[in-house]
Amino acid sequence: MTRRDWATRLHLPTLGAVLVILVVWSLLSWRYGAYVLPSPGAVLRGFAGILKSGEIWGHTGASLYRIVVGFGCAVGVAILMGLAAFVSRAARGVVHDFLAVLNSTSVFVWIVISIIWFGLSNWAPIFTTFMITLPVVGSNIVEGVQNVDRRLLEMGDVYRLNGRQKFVAIVIPFTLSYLVAGMKVGFGLALKVSVVAEIFGVTSGIGYIMNYSREILETQMVFVWALVMILVMMVTDKLVFDTLSRRLARWR
Amino acid sequence: MAVKLVLSGIGKDFLIPVIDTVSFSVEAGEFVCLLGPNGCGKTTLLRIIGGIEPATRGTVLLDGKLVVADQRHDRPVGMVFQEDRLLPWMSLRDNVALVLKPLGRPLAERRAIANRYLGVVGLRGFEDYYPGRVSGGMRQRAAIARALAIEPDVLLMDEPFASLDAQNRRIMQNEVRRIWRETGRTILFVTHSIEEAVAIGTHLIMLSARPARIREAIRNDGRVERAKLIDDLNAMIMEEVERQQGGASL
Ligand SMILES: Nc1ncnc2c1ncn2[C@@H]1O[C@H](COP(=O)(O)OP(=O)(O)OP(=O)(O)O)[C@@H](O)[C@H]1O
Ligand SMILES: [Mg+2]
Repeated sequence: MTRRDWATRLHLPTLGAVLVILVVWSLLSWRYGAYVLPSPGAVLRGFAGILKSGEIWGHTGASLYRIVVGFGCAVGVAILMGLAAFVSRAARGVVHDFLAVLNSTSVFVWIVISIIWFGLSNWAPIFTTFMITLPVVGSNIVEGVQNVDRRLLEMGDVYRLNGRQKFVAIVIPFTLSYLVAGMKVGFGLALKVSVVAEIFGVTSGIGYIMNYSREILETQMVFVWALVMILVMMVTDKLVFDTLSRRLARWR
Repeated sequence: MAVKLVLSGIGKDFLIPVIDTVSFSVEAGEFVCLLGPNGCGKTTLLRIIGGIEPATRGTVLLDGKLVVADQRHDRPVGMVFQEDRLLPWMSLRDNVALVLKPLGRPLAERRAIANRYLGVVGLRGFEDYYPGRVSGGMRQRAAIARALAIEPDVLLMDEPFASLDAQNRRIMQNEVRRIWRETGRTILFVTHSIEEAVAIGTHLIMLSARPARIREAIRNDGRVERAKLIDDLNAMIMEEVERQQGGASL
């Protein structure tokens, strides 16, 4: 990457704003004390600390594992829902209602229920992540399936493509962009939700360690782990989803 | 010659009656051109014959078998739609190869056939292009290649050359004509160009203003002089267009 690229990427006005925030942050920290608001320096030192000790990988890995399993299952089920919606009009209605109900259920409901069902285990945050991301990815896929160009399906009928051939050649490619959009939003949600779920009942993961840091009065570590979360979010967005969207748009 | 296609009393109502009653039969190997004013139901008629639109009245027999819309069928019918209807995410070759799948051909053979027919319509060298990267006329030619590739008994073409320039139009007319002569397929061809119809059709069917009936069915066997035939048909279509517009303003 050239220097010019970097300059445009870093966005000078944004840098200026960051600078202002850092100054205000330092002042507030100095005024109210490190327990309420640790200084930027303390957060940076904390971050360096978990990097050096390797603690960052353990907790981030644990969180990512739960997200990938829960979110992955949600994507799988969502695809099956899309298939059902394609195959039968009745199923489409059922899936639609089902997703509407899931969509209006609070995260907290799933957290409590998952603790009752799965106790203090990995499965509790996985289940919560699954239940929260399913409606997001699912509604996107079903919407995609509904919007498939009828005229292309008709072409498939004229040329005697069977249901599977039409699904593979027409419905899936058409729906992919909806799927990736849904996955992008869903993954962000998964990260936010699973971290909340980790406050309860597990002894690893970003959510757990944030809450623990608060309990032992290490407020700067709360900020450090929040920073880790933001980084994970931005990196997956750039690395995974941007690449995916670009590859899908090859034919455009 | 064997009777290929029989339409008896075909009618279609949408919100308004579109096709009143149309009956005609087509023998195997005929090249039938359908003419008629805009919106008189030519596309609808073709769709009924192709089995993707149910008729309100009447029956279509293809090879003596009833054509039932929206049912899985084994009719070897190729259709060129008014729009190209290519899958934008597949290369032109894959678009053509796709419709060979139901015929149970292996992949290599499908590709070879696709390449051959893309060559026939003058798209050699563009096999790997996505539809979005070629011109509208080229897309339409790819759609024609797709219809030809399945070597259909009956080829339904809905204004297939509308988006081509004069030269390509002439080339494709000759090409379709040649394929028709060499393979003996039955072709139903909708067009707005009377000159085109007279140049390539063995039979011409002029539909009336909506709701459509057959205004005139003509055997284009050269017994009537071409220039006169074109004049007569032009006069006829003017009448029908006026009638349709007069009807609309009432
Ligand atoms: N699905 C539909 N629902 C309602 N009306 C329809 C439908 N399809 C076609 N029509 C109507 O039927 C009439 C005939 O349409 P059609 O497309 O068959 O005409 P056409 O002869 O092919 O016209 P053009 O020359 O413009 O292609 C039009 O008035 C159109 O509005
Ligand atoms: Mg039409």
